[in-house]
Amino acid sequence: MMKKLLALAIAGMMVLSLAACGGGSSSSSSGSSSGGGSDASSGSGGGSLTINIWDSNQQAGLQQIVDEWSAESGVSAKIEVIDWDNYWTLLEAGASGGQMPDVFWMHSNTAQMYMENDLLLELDDYIANDADMDMSVYYPGIVQLYTRSDGKVFAIPKDHDTIALLYNKAIFDEYKVDYPTDDWTWDDMYEAAKKITEASKGEIYGMAMNTSNNQDGWYNLIYDYGGQLITEDHKGTTIGSAEGKAGMEMVRKLLTVGAPQSVVAETGTDSLFQSGKVGMITQGSWMINSFYKAEHHEDYCWALLPYADLNGNKQCDEGERQSCYNGLGWAAAANTSNPDACYDLISYLCSEAAQKKQAELGVTMAGIEGISEEFGNAFEGMDVSAFIRMEDFTLYFRPYTRNTTVWEDKIQQAGAFLDAWQDPSDPAKMEAACDNAQAIIEAAIAAE
Amino acid sequence: MSKQKMTARAKEEARWGWLFILPTMIGLIILNFYPVFNTIYQSFCKTGDFGKGNKFVGLANYQAVLSARETWQSLLNTIKYAIIEVPFGVVIALILAVFLNQKLKGTSIYRTIFFLPMVCAPAAVAMVWRWLYNQQFGLFNNILHTNIAWISDPKIAWIAIGIIGVWSVIGYNMVLFISGLQEIPGDYYEAASIDGATGINQFFNITVPLLSPTTFFIVQTRLIGALTVFDLMFMVMDKTNVALDKVQSIVYLFYTYAFTNGNKGYGATLVIVLVVFIMIVTFIMQKAEKKLVYHN
Repeated sequence: MMKKLLALAIAGMMVLSLAACGGGSSSSSSGSSSGGGSDASSGSGGGSLTINIWDSNQQAGLQQIVDEWSAESGVSAKIEVIDWDNYWTLLEAGASGGQMPDVFWMHSNTAQMYMENDLLLELDDYIANDADMDMSVYYPGIVQLYTRSDGKVFAIPKDHDTIALLYNKAIFDEYKVDYPTDDWTWDDMYEAAKKITEASKGEIYGMAMNTSNNQDGWYNLIYDYGGQLITEDHKGTTIGSAEGKAGMEMVRKLLTVGAPQSVVAETGTDSLFQSGKVGMITQGSWMINSFYKAEHHEDYCWALLPYADLNGNKQCDEGERQSCYNGLGWAAAANTSNPDACYDLISYLCSEAAQKKQAELGVTMAGIEGISEEFGNAFEGMDVSAFIRMEDFTLYFRPYTRNTTVWEDKIQQAGAFLDAWQDPSDPAKMEAACDNAQAIIEAAIAAE
Repeated sequence: MSKQKMTARAKEEARWGWLFILPTMIGLIILNFYPVFNTIYQSFCKTGDFGKGNKFVGLANYQAVLSARETWQSLLNTIKYAIIEVPFGVVIALILAVFLNQKLKGTSIYRTIFFLPMVCAPAAVAMVWRWLYNQQFGLFNNILHTNIAWISDPKIAWIAIGIIGVWSVIGYNMVLFISGLQEIPGDYYEAASIDGATGINQFFNITVPLLSPTTFFIVQTRLIGALTVFDLMFMVMDKTNVALDKVQSIVYLFYTYAFTNGNKGYGATLVIVLVVFIMIVTFIMQKAEKKLVYHN
């Protein structure tokens, strides 16, 4: 009997210890890139800082700027890249265990949670004592994001991004379809995509959009048509309203001439585009590098996002063309061993000179308003000015609540928009998905 | 029955004994026992962010977990995965082990080849399979001239994932079988061949019964392994995959809640449900051992 009990106990133990290992084993897949960011704080006394980011496209450019800071300050700093999914798992584990990287990126999905738990270094005193730091030059939506409800500031805007339409000239030429223009409506995009999909007999898809292409995809249609995924007070949604449904109905129409869900879930819209299988996708400015370095980049062109001609006057009026924008923030750990150096680095990275340089190097557009012109020229041979032209239209901040991930993932999956994506020919499914998404978001906000 | 006083020598030995097992004990307590009890505790809590501010909520998590459709769906998915992985993983490994246990040229090369999946990082294995299965550019569809959504069609995706699982464990099971085979005395086979038994007869009447303790061990450990599967689904299937709902294992669900959504209490409850389930399975297995396993 003892032996049996023991066997049971051991079996139980093996499973239970999963709870402890789950985080560890998932991080081991990115282990090579993360390389243990936690033991970096060892170099106290101004020796070195660890910086964690999640975008490898930005690593080289940022390291260059950081190295310039190191030369001035005498503090070395190394950037480590951890991919998006593991970044948050690791950062949360680090935060719970008291071992965070010194300086790192914050994002709208989680900023509120980190600020409320006092895990980030308070920057108010540093900003007050820094004559060169003026918070009013940054995009207000981003500043607001990293300001806690009691007015304390925990991160300084690093950049901002916008969305544009990416198309493959070679495919448009082959099927004799006119290139996208700045006057395109979403219906024009539908017609063009339809022509390509039909003329190629389904070999090539006119467009592609996954449920996970939210910020860079269907969110923008919701706002163009007057809906709001998250209302401005971050306490509700109008996705289930007539406006929200009108936006998603346009998405559905596009999907009927786009790549099927089973295809985009396996290959990813950016890979499909780069392998010449898709004529058009919508993409964010943070992805430019990946397309710029691609094999057939000379065929790739960027155009303004199409607009929704709601009043039918054949021109784009106020609010009919909207782009999501988001901005990362540079934050530091509250328990860093070298807070002065951390702030010094953050203020350097957020200075006008460094952010201009960031734009020049083609890393990203700046977090400071109106200094990103150079970004348009950063990619020789590729015109990316659509992202900057977009700023003349309406920008809305990326929808977020206190714990964004909970509803953001759920509305992309079965039981919400995935159902409609699977069968875009049925308008009733999209309408039901909007209602489901409304319920999911409301329940998630209620549980925050 | 008073205890006899320990001699100085016995005391000294006891001290050293404790000292020697101390590292293991500390490791077990910190890495296993503490998390176990913490997990049980958390399953009764509405956990706060970053492990702070846990609020005791009684059985609320259990109520939510047990009434959620996805819990039962993912438990079913896990069982379906185990039903593919364990029997096929065991039978194929056994057949291979019998062949590779013979004195032929090149057996060590084959043994190495079959064991290779065990040495590869699971994440890398999953990435390769993901591309083999890819509907657009995958090798399988290209060779077979088909257009099958191997991992996106809910009807077949669970089998596709199961096949990866079988492929990954064959090598490990095979090595265990080979060592079990080498324990079987050659005399039995000699005697059997003199009596005119064919190879097939020998396999079923000598190898299978005498190997049953090894087989049982493999089945039991693999069953627990299969019921806790996570990495295959996580690496091969995208979050927006249509078939995910019909394939995700219960540990995957646990990962989503505990780590992606940061709801540790709900995640802990899912794990406890899984533990109870595995305990039941293990209990049944232990009962079955007496009937199925042949002891000399």
